[in-house]
Amino acid sequence: MGHQRLQVLPIFSVLVLALFLVGCPKRPATTTAAAPAPGAPGAYGGAPGAPGAAATRPGVQPSPREFVAVEALKDIHFDFDRYDIRPGDAKILDENAKWMKSNPRSLILIEGHCDERGTNEYNLALGERRAKATMNYLVSRGVQASRISLISYGKERPVCAEKNEECWAKNRRARSVVKAG
Amino acid sequence: MAPPRPLVLTLVLVWALALGGLLVMPAPIHSQGVDVFLNVMAGGSKKLNIVIPEFTLVAGKDAQGLAKKIPEVAGADLRFSALFSVVSGTPPFPAADSETTKGMLKEFAASGAHAALQGLLTLRGDRAETEMRLYDLTNPDQRLITSKRFELRGADGRRLAHKIADEVVYQFTGELGIADTKIAYAGSASGTKELYDMDYDGAAPLRLTHNESINLSPAWSPDGRSLAFTSYMRGYPYLYRLFPFERRPIQLLAGFLGINTSPAWSPDGRFVALTLSKDGNPEIYLLNMATGATRRLTSHPGIDTEPTWSPTGREITFISDRTGAAHLFVMDAEGANVRQLTFAGFNTQPRWSPKGDAIAYTSRQGGNDIWVVSPDGSNARRLTAGPGSNESASWAPNGRHLVFQSSRLGSWQLFTMLVDGSEQQPLTRGAGEFTSPAWSPRLP
Repeated sequence: MGHQRLQVLPIFSVLVLALFLVGCPKRPATTTAAAPAPGAPGAYGGAPGAPGAAATRPGVQPSPREFVAVEALKDIHFDFDRYDIRPGDAKILDENAKWMKSNPRSLILIEGHCDERGTNEYNLALGERRAKATMNYLVSRGVQASRISLISYGKERPVCAEKNEECWAKNRRARSVVKAG
Repeated sequence: MAPPRPLVLTLVLVWALALGGLLVMPAPIHSQGVDVFLNVMAGGSKKLNIVIPEFTLVAGKDAQGLAKKIPEVAGADLRFSALFSVVSGTPPFPAADSETTKGMLKEFAASGAHAALQGLLTLRGDRAETEMRLYDLTNPDQRLITSKRFELRGADGRRLAHKIADEVVYQFTGELGIADTKIAYAGSASGTKELYDMDYDGAAPLRLTHNESINLSPAWSPDGRSLAFTSYMRGYPYLYRLFPFERRPIQLLAGFLGINTSPAWSPDGRFVALTLSKDGNPEIYLLNMATGATRRLTSHPGIDTEPTWSPTGREITFISDRTGAAHLFVMDAEGANVRQLTFAGFNTQPRWSPKGDAIAYTSRQGGNDIWVVSPDGSNARRLTAGPGSNESASWAPNGRHLVFQSSRLGSWQLFTMLVDGSEQQPLTRGAGEFTSPAWSPRLP
């Protein structure tokens, strides 16, 4: 049985490819899992429709310009090319979480940043992961996920411009800013 | 059931017509120039020697000095191709004296030239018309290889020169040159990162965005008419499309929650592969340009980003940190059959060659440098070796040249090189930083 299945698979792939190439309106099954339908929950920004028409609904998230830094919320930092929260930084986030819970009406934007050594696109993804890891930690400490937005700036917004480890370490950060609710 | 019979007949007819069409399709033009070129190379020369005298003004007033400028620019194009050794700027051929012309050609031949380019320039108002004549000087009769007319509005001498140079390359190699192309990039001269384009040789830089946010990752559509890019113009990193040669507004392509980055057009232009994190993690998706629907291709808790299509459209290379450091992976265009291509270093920015035989990428092994690897993962070789960081390679449409960003002069500037890493030369020396170069297809 198992062997037969393995033999059928390449033919199936070719069929899928053929269907895909001729633009069959019936969406072919993919071999990857969990391809969500457009507009499915989680696809906040996107609705079906031709790009450029009503493809997206920007404005669902408040503009990053509406968020400001508050002294009580401290940055956390990351090891090179990592996005896990270090124990010392977890303590900082514990304090941040306390402030967030005692200011329940404020919205929070977490910015993820990288140092300049990685390349652009990779850093945009890495910054996203850092912001996400920070959010997950805050949520685990009782901050409502619905109050939190994320943004990755990759390496585009460094706080330190020199080319040395001290400076790079400052740039590998997640920063929380606040919009009064 | 009556209908099937005519249907079958129709199909047979269509099939027969299609076959017939194939049979009568002309064979690719084999220029006499190709033989000249092959003979010259077989004779031990590394380059074909071509003379480009000043063009001959046949009619009109040459206020812009096009008779000098066009052969100069075309000569620079041919030098850049690294296929030609060029002598330009010698006095023009006479307008109508075949004996003198013949004598000049004989002299060029005697001095070692393999070919000569004659240009006859007619200027009327803002229109420039050129007839180019290409001669084979390896032939005792100085045979005419081809004669071709180009006409441009606006008397854009540079573009006319590029088209002539591309035609010369075509006549000798069988493939059009790449001089009539653009390079898009992100530049910071204005204080913020905006998109620009310029001619492939750095001339005529033009700012394309004015939103004073962050603009990144320009990617040309295969028809050369538009650029997909990531911009923070609405605060978050969304994907847009702009039309550099048309008065059309910028289109929003993808504005999902999270990142909307790293666009790569399928070779048929029907899809843009991109990275979205809307489902919680940076993954690669296909955006259907006709419907706006997205379809997820990767599914892994690590980072998956930077898709690049094989020229057949059947495979997509991308990077992933699923095995630790970032590496190149290949999957088919449905997301299946994933295989790892690189195992050493930290590898990002894959760009599939338009010829399909190589993938350029940036490898960090100490500093960042540009490498190429065969699509089966073999034959990884380094093209740059410092100084500074060398990143973000983009292929010329002929797969022979690459443009990349380098910090070797201090700030980020753009450089070009040949695919073997030779001929590294600066393309920009401007104010601010020049990053994310994208070489256009041949322009429409």
